[in-house]
Amino acid sequence: MSDPIPAVEARSLSKHYGEGNTYVLALKEATFRIASGSVVALLGPSGSGKSTLLTILGLINPPDDGWLRVGGMEVIRDGVIVGDTNLIRRRRLGFVFQRSNLIPFLTAEENVRLVLDLDRVPRREARRRTWEILESLDVADRAGHLPTQLSGGQQQRVAIARALVHQPSLLLADEPTASLDKELGRRVMELLRTAAREHGAAVLVVTHDHRALDLVDSVFEIEDGVLDAREEQRSE
Amino acid sequence: MNLALRDIRRDSSRFLLTAVGLGLLLTVVLAMTGIYNGIIKDATALPDSLGADLWIVQRGTRGPFAELSRLSSDLEERARAVPGVAKARSYVSHTVQRQLPNGRPLRFTAIGLSWPDDLGEHLPIIEGRPLAQPHWECLVDRSLGLSVGERIPLGRDVYTVVGITEGLLASGGDPSAFFALSDAQRIQNDASNEAIRLDREARTARVRESALGRDPELVRFSRGSAKRIPALGPLPVSAVMVNLEPGVPPEAVRASLESWQDVSIYSNDDEHLLILGGVVEKTRRQIGLFRGLLVAISAILMGLIIYTMTADKVHSIALLKLLGARVSVILWMILEESLLLGAIAYGLALFIGSFAFDVFPRRVVVENEHRLALLGIVTGISIAASLFGMKKALAADPNEVLAA
Repeated sequence: MSDPIPAVEARSLSKHYGEGNTYVLALKEATFRIASGSVVALLGPSGSGKSTLLTILGLINPPDDGWLRVGGMEVIRDGVIVGDTNLIRRRRLGFVFQRSNLIPFLTAEENVRLVLDLDRVPRREARRRTWEILESLDVADRAGHLPTQLSGGQQQRVAIARALVHQPSLLLADEPTASLDKELGRRVMELLRTAAREHGAAVLVVTHDHRALDLVDSVFEIEDGVLDAREEQRSE
Repeated sequence: MNLALRDIRRDSSRFLLTAVGLGLLLTVVLAMTGIYNGIIKDATALPDSLGADLWIVQRGTRGPFAELSRLSSDLEERARAVPGVAKARSYVSHTVQRQLPNGRPLRFTAIGLSWPDDLGEHLPIIEGRPLAQPHWECLVDRSLGLSVGERIPLGRDVYTVVGITEGLLASGGDPSAFFALSDAQRIQNDASNEAIRLDREARTARVRESALGRDPELVRFSRGSAKRIPALGPLPVSAVMVNLEPGVPPEAVRASLESWQDVSIYSNDDEHLLILGGVVEKTRRQIGLFRGLLVAISAILMGLIIYTMTADKVHSIALLKLLGARVSVILWMILEESLLLGAIAYGLALFIGSFAFDVFPRRVVVENEHRLALLGIVTGISIAASLFGMKKALAADPNEVLAA
């Protein structure tokens, strides 16, 4: 199923590393679309090109070639990042990692609000949105605590809140359930799916956890840099 | 959201401890500056307080403060006869180090004032009165720790403190004590009975060995007091201070005095330059070197701590970049931490100095311009120190977040 206005649209994204004998084609003309509000799992063995695709979508590494549109805005053209990378990250991208990667010297509330502060959202508006999302993720009561004072599940929920508070078009989740037990992993995937639905973000989840597949809308598989993006409908 | 303050909050004890260490270093830097200023003030306060327009000293010397000078005591009378001279006073000074009967050591510069023309009224007397008797009275600087009415045995005499002055130290840092000229000379030339006897014997022997020894009356005379022997003359003085009549151009009087072949003439400003260019100049260079070293140590210490603080949060910086933080936000966080560290240390230095400098053995003079100069230095080293951290922060790669 394809969305008439996809949150993410990629065409012919390619990336290689090394030269001569060390030449590796990490990503070969990846083309795909992800609809707003849908969760897509990216599966593949180690070294298949998952991280390469993730870093390209996160504008961390530019591709050699290709084209990428996020939230209707062209961000990569002919392998070149177009526009202010920081601005695109602040407004259109969200990140969730295997570890929560919260900033240790900020409280849960500050970690979430930080994204809005970086984009100079007025303070009152930033606080309102921060509290709303913390409440929706059931961690508002831990808002004043530092990351070290939170459990693993609470940390991951705060990280999801941070990734969603600025209403990004694309949320990139790198093994978000890998360090969690079965129940908590499922809860995190549910949160991502709910968040995608409620905030209209496209969620790309890099995972090895087959338990998570029950909760995604589609699965992309990648092997030797070749992406199979069939957009198979997996769940409601 | 102020990231710097929140980062500091995480490990505030380390930050504050570093600030205290830096503050103590800056206190020493400020103290060095203050001690140097104090030396200048002390060194120039004495000639200023004596109020001479011109100084007559031994020919070819740079006395009486920068170098020893010896003049015949009759020079006071010669100077007084020069047209345009209102007042001429002899000046003697020498260092005295004795022990009081209670065992307390006493070190000061004894200065002789021309009795009765100079009673010390022009000195900054904060307690007591000027000299009122030709003998056995003295004025002492407060830093000597004596009080009015206290009696000091020096040589064969006992002197009573009648007044306390303030801020009058010799260029070597010793407190000054003012006596009538003859008393100061007596203290300087005090000799034991045995020394006097030996001197008289030596003098008589010299007379006997010469043609004068044929005259028994002369030999007998030579055995007597030195004061009664005209050939030996009165004791020398260090300098003669000259004050001019109102409206008289100093150049004219100076030209007259300079025509004398046995003396050199200096103005009060010349004396300042001689003092500052001599002993004080070496002190200035030495203190300047210490100050430079301490500033460098402070800068290195700040650089290290800021670098360490940045290295500790390099992952957070990479994450900030991934979240789309502008580079300026990250660099400002580091600069802000460095400036805050410098500001706390600076404030601490001023606070410690405000009470600690008063108990320093030497005068510490810190004025607003010196505080501002230190503020400039602290700001400079804070910015320089932050560059280490900034370099580290700029190298942080958002990829590290994913790799982790």
